[in-house]
Amino acid sequence: MSLENYQGYVERCCRCSCCKFVPLQKVRGIKHSYVCPSISKYNFNAYSGGGRLLTIKSMLRNKTSYNDKLKEIVYNCQMCGACGVSCNYAMDIEVMEPISEFRIRCVQDGQTHPALEKVITSLRTTNSMVSVTGKRSDWALGMNLKDITKDKVEVFYFAGCLSSYEKHNLAQSIARLLQQAGVNFGIAGEAEMCCGGRAYQMGYEADFLAQAKKNMALIQKTGIKTLVTGCADCYQAFKVLYDKFNLKGDLQILHITEYLRQLIQAGKLTLSRRVDLNVTYHDPCRLGRLGEPWIHWEGTQMPGTRYMFDPPKEYRRGEHGVYEPPRDVLRSIPGLILTEMDRIKEYAWCCGAGGGVNESNPEFSIWTAKERIEEAESTGARTLVTACPWCEKNFDEAIKATGSKLKVFDIVELVENAIQKGDTNAPK
Amino acid sequence: MHLSKEIYAEIENIVGPENICGDPAIMPSYHDSEIGAVVLPKDAEEVQAIVKLCNKHKIQFIAMSTGFIRAQIPRGSIYLDLRRMNHIIEINEENMYAVVEPYVTSAELQAELFKRGLNCSIKGSGSQCTSIIRGHGHMDISTSGDDRNQLAMEWVTPAGDLIRLGSLGSVNEWFCGDGPGPSLRGVISGRGSGDALAEGGVITKSAMKLYHWPGPVEFPLEGNSPNYNLKEMPAHFMIRYFSFPSVDKMYEAELKIGESEIAFELMGFNVAMLSANVSSSLEKEIQFLEKAKKEVQGPGFYVIIAANSQEEFEYNQKVLEQIITETGGKSLKLVEDPRVAGILLIHGIRICASIRETFRSRAPGGKAYGFQIMGQRDVCIKWIGEAAERKKKLIEKGLGADDGGVFFGWSVEHSHLGKTEIFFDPSPDPRSVEAILAWQQETAWNALNNHLAVPTHLPLEIIGPRVSNYHIWSKKMDEAFNPNGVTIFLPSLTG
Amino acid sequence: MTVKDKLAVIVGPENLDDSDFTLQQYSHDNSFLNPIKPALIVKPRNIKDVQEIVKLANEYLTPLVTVSSGPPHFKGDTVPSTGGAVIVDLSGMKKIMRIDRYHRVAMCEPGVTFAELIPAVQQQGIRLNLPLLPRKNKSVVGSLLEREPVIMPKYQWDISDPLACLGLILGTGDEFRTGQAAGPGTIEEQWAAGAVQKAPYGPGSTCWHRLFQGAQGTMGIATWASMRCEILPTLEEPFLVGSSFLDRLLKLTHWLIRLRLVNECFILNNTNLAAIMALNWPEDYYTIKRSLPTWILFYNVAGYQYFPEDRVRYQVKDIQSVAQRIGIEPTTNLGAVSAKELLKVVQQPSEDPYWKLRYKGACQDIFFLTLSNKLSSLLETMNIEANKFGYPASDIGVYIQPGVQGTSYHCEFNLFFDSGNSSELQQIKKLISSATLSLLNKGAFFSRPYGHCTRVIMNRDASTVESLRKVKKIFDPNNILNPGKLCF
Repeated sequence: MSLENYQGYVERCCRCSCCKFVPLQKVRGIKHSYVCPSISKYNFNAYSGGGRLLTIKSMLRNKTSYNDKLKEIVYNCQMCGACGVSCNYAMDIEVMEPISEFRIRCVQDGQTHPALEKVITSLRTTNSMVSVTGKRSDWALGMNLKDITKDKVEVFYFAGCLSSYEKHNLAQSIARLLQQAGVNFGIAGEAEMCCGGRAYQMGYEADFLAQAKKNMALIQKTGIKTLVTGCADCYQAFKVLYDKFNLKGDLQILHITEYLRQLIQAGKLTLSRRVDLNVTYHDPCRLGRLGEPWIHWEGTQMPGTRYMFDPPKEYRRGEHGVYEPPRDVLRSIPGLILTEMDRIKEYAWCCGAGGGVNESNPEFSIWTAKERIEEAESTGARTLVTACPWCEKNFDEAIKATGSKLKVFDIVELVENAIQKGDTNAPK
Repeated sequence: MHLSKEIYAEIENIVGPENICGDPAIMPSYHDSEIGAVVLPKDAEEVQAIVKLCNKHKIQFIAMSTGFIRAQIPRGSIYLDLRRMNHIIEINEENMYAVVEPYVTSAELQAELFKRGLNCSIKGSGSQCTSIIRGHGHMDISTSGDDRNQLAMEWVTPAGDLIRLGSLGSVNEWFCGDGPGPSLRGVISGRGSGDALAEGGVITKSAMKLYHWPGPVEFPLEGNSPNYNLKEMPAHFMIRYFSFPSVDKMYEAELKIGESEIAFELMGFNVAMLSANVSSSLEKEIQFLEKAKKEVQGPGFYVIIAANSQEEFEYNQKVLEQIITETGGKSLKLVEDPRVAGILLIHGIRICASIRETFRSRAPGGKAYGFQIMGQRDVCIKWIGEAAERKKKLIEKGLGADDGGVFFGWSVEHSHLGKTEIFFDPSPDPRSVEAILAWQQETAWNALNNHLAVPTHLPLEIIGPRVSNYHIWSKKMDEAFNPNGVTIFLPSLTG
Repeated sequence: MTVKDKLAVIVGPENLDDSDFTLQQYSHDNSFLNPIKPALIVKPRNIKDVQEIVKLANEYLTPLVTVSSGPPHFKGDTVPSTGGAVIVDLSGMKKIMRIDRYHRVAMCEPGVTFAELIPAVQQQGIRLNLPLLPRKNKSVVGSLLEREPVIMPKYQWDISDPLACLGLILGTGDEFRTGQAAGPGTIEEQWAAGAVQKAPYGPGSTCWHRLFQGAQGTMGIATWASMRCEILPTLEEPFLVGSSFLDRLLKLTHWLIRLRLVNECFILNNTNLAAIMALNWPEDYYTIKRSLPTWILFYNVAGYQYFPEDRVRYQVKDIQSVAQRIGIEPTTNLGAVSAKELLKVVQQPSEDPYWKLRYKGACQDIFFLTLSNKLSSLLETMNIEANKFGYPASDIGVYIQPGVQGTSYHCEFNLFFDSGNSSELQQIKKLISSATLSLLNKGAFFSRPYGHCTRVIMNRDASTVESLRKVKKIFDPNNILNPGKLCF
C-alpha cells in the first residue's frame, strides 16, 4: 500500500500521547512507564508514534517537506511497534504501517541515511545484513547437518545473518537441540540468503522484496513446508512480511521457542538438569507484538462519521504475538526462576537494535539497551534471557558499556543446559 | 524558522542545544503551528529564565504537559514542552498529598499511590495526562475536581516571577496552597474558558490532594492488549450500570447515592459511551450497543462501590439497592457479566480516558461542538436537557450525527456538585455544521438569557457584563501578572 | 457637606454613631494592637448602602474597617490601623436569604450569627460545618471569610469550604459576585431559574472567592455569603479517646478521616476540654481536668436516611479494629466527660460567657497550620516558650483540628489570662511575639496572620506579599479597605 492509502488513519491521530506510554492499566509506577525509546530519548513530540503520524499527515497535505531534521526524526526510530500497541488499545487506526511506509517513501525519494545505504549496498552483493567474515556456513562445520538443497528434510532451519556470521553458538545450539530431538531438518548453508527483514525495517522495500523472492524460490524448489529460525527479525520477515506481500504461500514459520515448546510437550526433548538461575525474559519486538500474523484485508470505508470499513477491518494490535511459548519453555527448565520485568509481552521495551538504528545511530541503540538492562536488574534477576541474536548482541554491548554484572543468554542456551549430560554434546 | 537567531541562542544558552528546536520538521507534531521554538526546560529555574526572556522580547509562550488539546499556537511563540519535568518529588502518606512535576502522569502517580493504599483524582482526558491538571473525571464523586485537589504550588508567573504559594513560601512545606492571608490560588486560572488570564504562567510543581484506596496494589489482569480482563473483582468492589425511566429519576438516584456517601465512582455514561469504553473495536462497540439499547430504559450511569470492610461493603450495596428500587432503576445485565464489569472497572479507575468514545467513535478532531459545564447539576441538566431536545430535532432532520440526542454528566463531591456535558457531531449533510453552530449559539444564549449558567461559545464582551463584569477584573489581573501580554489563550472547544 | 453628612444621607442618621463612648468601643479589641479611635461608626442596611459608602470612601480616601460579629473581638482585624477610619458595622444586615435542603446550601448576610443560623438551617434538615464553639454573636459570613477551621474535616474538600459564593462590594465600589453567583442574572433571577449559589468556581476559570477569604476585609466587603451545608444525621454516636500519647491519637485521627468514618473530629487537651465542659467555675474545671488524660480525641459516627443503625454499626466496628491496632480504646465516657454531652455542646455556638473567657476572663490564641508529624515538636516549642515567660504550660489550652480531609492540621494554643493584670497582659504579649517567631522558625504555617505578629509572618514570603499587593491594587487601588492590615 502506498503512503497515501494511510491518510485516513494519520488524520485521526488525536495527540492523546498514549503512544508514549505502556498501556495505562499496565503502568506500575513512575519507573518503566514509557514504551517508546525514541521520544524517551529525544523528548520532542515528533519522535513519538503520534508525532510521526502527525508528520506524515502534514507531508501528505504538502505542508512539510524533507530536511535534515525530518530525516533525523525518521531514522531515529527502532520501528519497534510499541506505539501502535498502546494506541490501538483505544483507537482503530494503523500506526506502524504508515510509519513504515513513510520510511519506505523516504528511501524511494532518495532521502536515505548513509549508514543504511552502506548496509544495503553490501546486502545486494553479499546477501547479508552483517559484515561477511568467512563463509556463511562456517558455523556448521563438523556438525554433519543436512543440506536442504540436496537432502530431503521436513524442516528448514534458517540461521540468519547474525547467527551465521557472528553468533555461531546460537546456531550451533539450535542445531544440536534439533538433532537431539530427532528432527529431520536441514540448513541452506552457503545457499542461505538474508531474509530481507531488516532491509524492510530500514525502508528498503525493493531490496527486501528481492531477498524475499530469492528465498521463496529456494524454498519452493525444496518442497519444504516448515521453516524454523532463532532470529526474531527473520521470524517476522518470513511469517509476516512475506505473507503481507503474498510470497509466503503455505510455508509454516516457527520461531525456535515455539518449536521447542512443541518438542518438549511431545517428549522429544527432556529437560531434566537443574539450571539454578534467576532470570528475566525480554520479548523481542518481532517475535512478540510485531510477530503476530499478517491479516489480509481489502475493503472500502463505510459512509458516516465512524471510521469503519466493509468488510470490517481487523487490526493487528499486538495481542497475538509469541509471548507464551518462550515462557513455557523457560518454565520447563528445572530450577529456573522467571521474574518478569515491568514492560513485557506486547508492551515490552525494545532492545534498541531494530529499524536500522543499530547501524545508523549506535549511541541511541545502546542507550535503549541500557534502559532495558537497568530494568532487568531492577527485577533482582542476574540473567537476562532473550530469543533473538540481535537483542542479545545489543544487550551484550550495553552491559560492556555499563559494567553491569548481568549475564545475557539466548533461551536455547539455557534449554541446552537443562538437558542431561550425555544427552547432548553441547558446551556449557 | 519563526524565531530570531539571537533569541534562539539566548534560550539555547539556558536549556542546552539538545533541548530546543525551531525546525519546521517538528511543528506538525506540535499542533501543526508555526511555533518559534519548542523548548524542553528541566526545572523551575530554567522555566523562569525562559519566561523572563519572553517578557524581555515580548514573545508569547505557552506551557504544555502531554498537550492533549486542539490548539493553534501563535506564530513565533515559545512552546514549553514540560516533558523533562517528570519527577514525583514526595508522597506524604500521613498528610495525604503528593508533590509532582507537570509531566508526571496520573497513571504513574496512581500506580505509585496504590502501593501505599492511596489514590488520586484522574481527569476525563485520561490518566496519560498530567496529574496536575485542573479538570473533572470519573472519580469526582469521591475524589473531587477542578482546582480543589491542588495544594501548595510552585508557580512561574507570566511575568517570570517565581512564587511559592501557601505553606511552601512561608515554611517550605507542601500541604497548603492558601495564605498567608488571601490565597493566590485565586490568581492562577485554568485553561481556555474565554478569560484574558486563561493561561496563568507555568506551574512547575504542585502538591496534589490524595485519597484512600481500598483496592489492591495492582489489579490482577490477564490477556494482552487490547483485551485485558480482570482476573477477579477485588474484594469489596462492585460495579453496576443502571438505567432509569427518565433524566429526573436518574438524577434523583445520583443525588441520593451522593448524599448517602456509598459510592467510590459514579459516571453518567450513556449506553453509547459505555459500549465504546468496554469494547476493543468499533465493530464490537456497535454489537454491544445494539444489545445494550434493547436493555436500557433511559439515561443511566455506572456506579463503583469500593469498601474497606465486608460490613461497609454490605451496607453500601444494601443502600444502593434501596435507592435503585426507589428511583425505578434497572441494572444492565451486560455489565453484570464479570468480564464486562472488570473491563469497565479498570477503565473507570485506571484510565478514565474517553479516547474510545471521543476519538475512536467520531470523525477526526473528536468533540468539536458542545458544552462542558461544571457546577450545580440540576440546573445544568435543565439547561442542557433543553439543548438535547433541540439536538434531537436536528438529528431527525439529518443535520447532526445520530447519537440518540444524548447528554450526560456525573456527580462531584458526593453530589454537592456535578459535571454536565453535551456534544454534537456533524452529519454528512453539508448544512450540518451551520445548523450545529446555530444550535450551539442558541444554547449559549439560553444559558445567558434564562440565568442558568455561564456558557462558552459567546464572546467575552457579551458574557462578561452579564456575569459581574468578570472580564474586566480578569483583564486587570492579566495586566498585573502578565504586563507584557505574553500568555496565550486556548479555547477548549471550537465554534 | 462632610463625610458624616453624606453618610447620613446614605444610611440614615440613626445608623451613624460618633459618640465618644462608641468610638472607644470600636477603637480596640483584645488584641495587642494600639488603640486607634475611628472617626465614625456606620451601619449599612443593605448592599446598596455598602456600595455607596465605599464609593464615598474612595472619593474622600477614607479608610473603612469592616466588622460583622458582635464583641468581644480578639484578632485586631476589625479595629483601625490608621486614623480617620470609618467602621462599617454590618451586624445589622441580618437577612437569612436562603436555606435549601435540596441543594444543601444556605445563604445569609454578614450580620447573621451562628446562634441565628444554626437553628434556622436545622429546621430544614441541614446543618453547617461549624468551627469549634464560635461565639453566639459571631458572624457566620465573618467566620467563612476568615477560613476558620471546621470540626467536620470529612466535609472539607478544600480549605475554602464550607464557603460557596460571595457577594462583594470591592474596594473600587463595584459589585462583584463570585462563583456561580456571578451570573448571569441577579440572585433573584437565578433563583427563579432554579439556580442556587453553590458552585464556588469562577466566574471564568479563576476561583475568585479565594482572594477574599483571609483578606481581613482589605479586598472587598462581603455583603452576603452562601455556604455548603450537610444533611442532619438521624443517628449519632459520639466517642472519646484519651491518651497521654498524642501520636497515637493522631494515628487514629488519620484513619478516621482517611476512611471517611466520622463527622465531627478534633483533639483537645484536658485544659481546653475542661474549659469547654465546666459549668461551675473553678471547681468543675479542676475536677474535669484532673479526670482526663492529657489528650482527648473526640469523634462522632453518624447515620443518615438509609439504614442508619447499620451504618453506625459498621463504622463503629471498623473504628474499633483500627483503634485496637494502635492500642487505644474509644469510649463514650472519659473521666468526667460524656461524649454525648460534648457532642451537644459542639453542635451549638458557645454559651455565654464565651468559653475561652471563663477561666481567667481573657484569652489570646496562637494558631497555625502544620503537618501531623510536626505537631509534637511544635507543642514542645510552645512549652519551652511558655516556660521562658513564666506561663504555666499546663494552663495552655490546645486544640488540634484536622482539616481539608486530613491534608493539614490546625493547631491552636489558647492562652488564658487576666486582662486586668497588667503584668500578665505584658507577659502574654511577649509570649505571643516570641512563640510566634519560634513556631514559625520551626515550620508552623501561619496562614491567617493577625494582630501584632502579622508583619513578621508576612515578611517570610516576599514574593507572596508582592503578588498580594498587585491584587490589592486591582480591587482597592486607593487602599481604603482596612489599610495597615496584612501587608497593605
